[in-house]
Formats: sequence, C-alpha cells, structure tokens
Amino acid sequence: MFFFLKGRTATSAALHCLGIESTAHTFGVGIVSDDGRILSDVRDVHVSAPGTGIHPREAAEHHSEVAARVLSEALKKAGIPAAKLSGIAVALGPGLGPCLRVGATVARALSAYYRIPLIGVNHAIGHIEIGTLTTGAKDPLVVLVSGGHTAIAAFSGGRWRIFGETEDITIGNLYDMFAREINLPSPAGPEIERLAAKTSDFLPLPYVVKGNDVSYSGLLTASLSKLRSGAKLEDVCYSMQEVSCSMLAEAVERSLAYTAKKELLLTGGVAANKILQQKLEEVAKLHDAKFYVVGSPYTGDNGPQIAWTGMLALRAGLRTGISEARVRPKWRLEDVDIPWRDGSA
Amino acid sequence: MVQPKLIYKGAEAEIYLESWHSQLVIRKSRVVKPYRIVELDEGIRRSRTAHEATMMQEVRKLGVPVPAIQHIDPESWTLIMEYIQGPTLKEELYVLPANKKRSRCSDLGEILGQMHEGGIVHGDMTISNVLSEDGRLFMIDFGLGDFSKETEDKGVDLLLLNRAIKSTHYAFHAPLFKAFLKGYSKAVGKKRCDETITKMREIERRGRYFERG
Repeated sequence: MFFFLKGRTATSAALHCLGIESTAHTFGVGIVSDDGRILSDVRDVHVSAPGTGIHPREAAEHHSEVAARVLSEALKKAGIPAAKLSGIAVALGPGLGPCLRVGATVARALSAYYRIPLIGVNHAIGHIEIGTLTTGAKDPLVVLVSGGHTAIAAFSGGRWRIFGETEDITIGNLYDMFAREINLPSPAGPEIERLAAKTSDFLPLPYVVKGNDVSYSGLLTASLSKLRSGAKLEDVCYSMQEVSCSMLAEAVERSLAYTAKKELLLTGGVAANKILQQKLEEVAKLHDAKFYVVGSPYTGDNGPQIAWTGMLALRAGLRTGISEARVRPKWRLEDVDIPWRDGSA
Repeated sequence: MVQPKLIYKGAEAEIYLESWHSQLVIRKSRVVKPYRIVELDEGIRRSRTAHEATMMQEVRKLGVPVPAIQHIDPESWTLIMEYIQGPTLKEELYVLPANKKRSRCSDLGEILGQMHEGGIVHGDMTISNVLSEDGRLFMIDFGLGDFSKETEDKGVDLLLLNRAIKSTHYAFHAPLFKAFLKGYSKAVGKKRCDETITKMREIERRGRYFERG
C-alpha cells in the first residue's frame, strides 16, 4: 500500500470516497481519501421540539431539504469534483426507514449520473471503523453506544460478533426518554451529564446486569417515579447516570474477561459522556487493556464514518448494484461480512 | 501448606487456589470495582456473595453438580468452595471431536433444564461458567442467579448461552445449540422448551435497533 502511494502525486491519483449518513436525526456527507484523511465533514442535525422524540417523517423532511446544500458544501470543502470520486457510500441501515430513504435516493442518483461505484454501508460498522481510524486501535473489544445501539462486539472469523447488548432499550434511549418527560430536547445526554455534575447525592435505583447484557427499562421507570415523588432533578440525573454507566461498565468488564482482548474502544454518540469514558477507562486498566475513545468530532453520526467504511469496502472489491441498494432498517452489525479485516480468534 | 495462588481474574471476582483446613479449595473474592461509587459497589458485592452461596446450595438440592460451599464470609465478600479442576466447557469445545462436542452440549441442556424445572435460573449462562471434569459438567458462578419460574428469565439463560456459543464457536454454532436444545427439551418437555425458545427470540429482537428514539 505504502509503495503504491509513494510513486504518485497524492492529490491527482489518490482514491476518494464520499459517504452519506441519514439513519436518524443527522444528514451528513463526508469525503475521505484512501490514506485515511478526512477531507470534509458537513452535517445538518434535525432538532426535535422539546418534550418530543425524533419523528421519522419530520426528520426525513428535514433531510430532503438540506441534502443538496450539505452535499455541495462537502464536495467544495474537499476540493474534489463529484466526477472524480472513486466511490459513493451510503448508510443503508440500521435506522429509521423514511430517513434512510433520503440518503439512499441521493446516493443512487449520484452513482447513476456520474457512473461511480455505489457501496451500501452498515451504519454500526461505520461507528466502529471511524473509531479504529481515529484511534489506531487494531483488534479492540468495541463498545457501541448511541440512540440506536448498546452493544459489545469483537471481531473474529470475518465478522463482528456480539458479546453483550441491551435486552430492552439502549442507553441513548434511556437518556432521551427520560429527557422527553422533563421537556428537554433529544439527544439529551449532554444536558443530563451537566445536571448530574451538580451533585453527589445518590438515590438507589435498579441495577440490572444479566450476564454480559444490561436492561435499562426498569431504571427508566424507577428514575421517572423518583422524580414524580419529589426527588431533585439533579440527584435523579446523577443516580441514573451512575447506575446506567456502571451497569454497562460491568457488562464490558465481563466481556473483556471473556474475550481477553487487549484493547477497548468506545464509539457512538453516547461515547461523548465523560462519566462513561472514565468508568470504561477503569475497566480497561483492571484488565491491562488499552483504552480508546473515538475522535471527539466523530462520536455523533457523521458522513466520514460512512465514507471511510465505504473506502475499506471499495478497496476490498465490494460494490452494491443500484437496484440492490435498498434500505435495511433492521440490518444487524453481526450479519455483515468484513473482508478487509484480519480475523483473529 | 500451599501458598494462595491467583488462578483466574474474572470480571467480578478473583479466584485463588489455596489450602484451607488441609484441603485444596477455591477462594472466590469479590473485589472492589473502582468504576462504581462506594454506595453502589458495597451493596452489590455483599448481596451477590451471600446470594451466590444460597443459589449453589439450592441448585445442589436439585441434583445439579456444583462445587460444594465450605465457608461464607459476606463481610470480606468471600466464598470458599470445593476445587473442581476444569477445563471450562468453552476451552473443552475447542479440542473435543464433533460427536463429543454435541454430547457435552446436550448434557448441559439437560442440567440447565433440571435447574429451570426446579425454579432456578442461572443469570450468567455462558460456556465459561461450566466446568468439565472427566466428562461430568459442573455449573459455577451463581452471583446473578435467581429463583424464578418466569419464561422471560429462562429465555435470558438460553439467549446468553446461544450467544456464547455463537460468538466463540461460530463454525459449530448450529449443531451445538441444537444438541443443547435436545438435552434441554428432554428435561423440561417439548412444550416448555418451545415456549422458552420463542421467548428467547423475542428478547433478542427487543434490544435491536429501536424504531423510536
């Protein structure tokens, strides 16, 4: 690879892949080069009204409105004309159907018009790949936390294998559904973290770990009922954050002991939570593993995560026919074959 | 006199092999978790230690092989129990011939079924929590176990076990889980076995991508 690049002038001959992200509230477009440089990252986030969750149709309408502008800004910032791209990658799932269809439509049109190969990408794999790209982690146990995922995975035998996950709602859902009740806009993680930092008065709340799995629905109900029975909002935020992050830390520790991996990578939107970062860093230390957190601009959904995964797939010879590029709202990350990684048992 | 020797550092506890009243025993100590605040950590460790001992005695009464508990000290979060050498079923499945792999999984199905019929769920049902000594399977690690006749809780045991086999022995996953279910069905009957499998699938779907954020 290195020698291959060396003989060329970097700008004229390098490969460039564009990636489109539209799985939930973010419409994002990014462009990356094959040496892993992120040349542009433009996003427009649909903000739902306080006290309501993300509405799939409203978010999709937002995406349709901003798509053309986000796309042209991303091309302009990268300084790459669309016709010179080597691949168009798009997140086909998992995510909200109406939102996914906006990204897929734009991608199919671009690919057909410019005759550039199309690559359908799994959004969760995108979170993992941008995590390894920005941290240099080689063979980590991955903790993927967001509105759509709470999963613990490790790579072996050509696929990411799930070692633990939530058995009901995700950690992102827990925070967002709690926030909805108290009229905060979602994603609400940062606001809950800010309120929690004001206190250290701990209220007992249900701590539910099942093997390497967690279950957050009881914690949500109990947190809301504490609030209704007059507990201070800060104390409830603090206690809910402590319990939810500790539960996940324990599930991660169990998975780390089970897999004996020597690297731990935290990625996805909730990876921005400092308390969760601290707890997982402690877990890594206990098992002599190196701890990594995805580069800070790339915790939330973004175009580069799709572009980079598309680039890896493109180099591995993968293509998606335009007629096969249908959205897959429930696409599981463990069902994706990954030919570009060395399998390790 | 044997010096205490750390033989396994698990997620929850440190496992020492040591001599105790001139016997070779296992000492399981639940250690402080620096990632949990003290208010949370102490309660969890104390209750799981006492609880694990209770569950092991009860499981034993059902005729399911478990190491015998010799001593409980909830104040130092420690259990002393009979030493079963192992290997774990997870390790053994790597080296056994295919027919033996299947028969071990079927045996495991039978003893887990026996537990479920007796109203006890394991709560952390993986193939590293099963020791195999001369072909006889011992269940260990009952810290997350519980008294329950709920299909939901039994479904979680099946789900965790299915995933444990799938994630580490993926090449043999289908025949091994099928063999497990054969043994399980033998112990609980076909009807209950089918109900629990249905519940397992339902739980698995629940945690996947959530349609409303």
